[in-house]
Amino acid sequence: MITIENLRCRNLAIDALTIRPGITSVIGTNGSGKTTFLKLCAGILIPDTGKVMIDCVHPRNTEVGWVNEFPDRNLLFVNVFDEIASSLRFRLTPCNSIDASVHACAGSMGITHLLDRRVLDISGGEKVLVSLAAALVHRPKVLILDDYDSHLDAGSVALVEQQIRTSGAEYVIRCTQQMDTAIRSDHLLFFNCGRITHDGTPQQVIPFLRGTAWFPVLWRCKN
Amino acid sequence: MSATGSFHEGVHLVSGDVGCGKSTLALIMAGFFTLSEGTIERKGIKSCILSLQFPELSVTGLTVAEECASWGVDTDKILDSTGLHGRENESPLSLSRGELKRLHLACVLDQEYDLLLLDEPFSSLDCREKARLCDRIGYKKGDGITIIFTHEQNILPRVDRIWEISGQALVDCGRPPDAFFRWRHVPPVIIRLIASGQTPDNLSLDDLREAECRIHG
Repeated sequence: MITIENLRCRNLAIDALTIRPGITSVIGTNGSGKTTFLKLCAGILIPDTGKVMIDCVHPRNTEVGWVNEFPDRNLLFVNVFDEIASSLRFRLTPCNSIDASVHACAGSMGITHLLDRRVLDISGGEKVLVSLAAALVHRPKVLILDDYDSHLDAGSVALVEQQIRTSGAEYVIRCTQQMDTAIRSDHLLFFNCGRITHDGTPQQVIPFLRGTAWFPVLWRCKN
Repeated sequence: MSATGSFHEGVHLVSGDVGCGKSTLALIMAGFFTLSEGTIERKGIKSCILSLQFPELSVTGLTVAEECASWGVDTDKILDSTGLHGRENESPLSLSRGELKRLHLACVLDQEYDLLLLDEPFSSLDCREKARLCDRIGYKKGDGITIIFTHEQNILPRVDRIWEISGQALVDCGRPPDAFFRWRHVPPVIIRLIASGQTPDNLSLDDLREAECRIHG
């Protein structure tokens, strides 16, 4: 269980929140604190007050895979292979094991053909796929994805969804502005002005969004 | 990639898989790349604006106010329309990505142009801002040629013509709604509406919701 208590950080305030294992989608307005929330769960930010715990462990002591909302800010190395291999190299994983893991991960993401390319030369969507592969290759316990799907075509979104679900990550927390993706989650959080205004399953949250641009067009057909 | 086609006045949508060359085509149309063969003729195009996929690459001002000034726009008007009043002295790069995209697009859409090229304009925008952008694009319609290069599947403006890059070639799918039956990248929501016997007239949320209402009588 991820537990958050009395949290204050920048414009974000959460008195109490519990996230069970599974896929949690974070939706809401721009500037409402979604990225701050994800960074707190990843241990990238420390709250001004309050705490975030993942199964009673601080996020900084937890294996986390992270994809930044700015695709270029994920990329540290010159070529795609080195980028995906980086987290394994930092863990001093044996070279032959790194090679096998990178090829397997790239294969599952459909980007084997990019392994020898320079990260600067690939498209925006390809950068996101490389960043996702780099986040997944060390099989993290917690996978945190910030607006990862806004540069992906529908086929890539479906492929990534499959990889996320088979990644072995106990917790997936993702920010998305695609409601088709958001409703395929176990848990939905709606953020507005630094607060979580709706918290529950998609079936519980979506009815509150009727009349807004967040309400999925086919929700009435689906339900 | 090869491309042949004529883009007339109105709103055009170009779709395609990740890495298929949409951004390259946008850069070519803007005149930033030299063609290996062929020509591009820009009839009546005196001004062209390219909105890059990554708004952070367009930033030249050290503050939000400087960024607005660099575009030659009315800073107060832009701050009003983007909800960024009070943040004019912050670095544009300290904004959330959605806020930065909003600022960038507000500055772009305040310009006069004959050709507007929008590369992934919906990325990072929340659903409400996507809908506002669609309204704005619709409002500007008639002001020249607008070409939208995007993966967006759900919140799109009414468009005059749909194109896609498929098999390394630009394909003209035609005008909606007929284009929906030729468009390989047709959004899943439209596929489901058509499967329910209700083809939307166009791509906008209003068109999709109107078709959805017809399903429910």
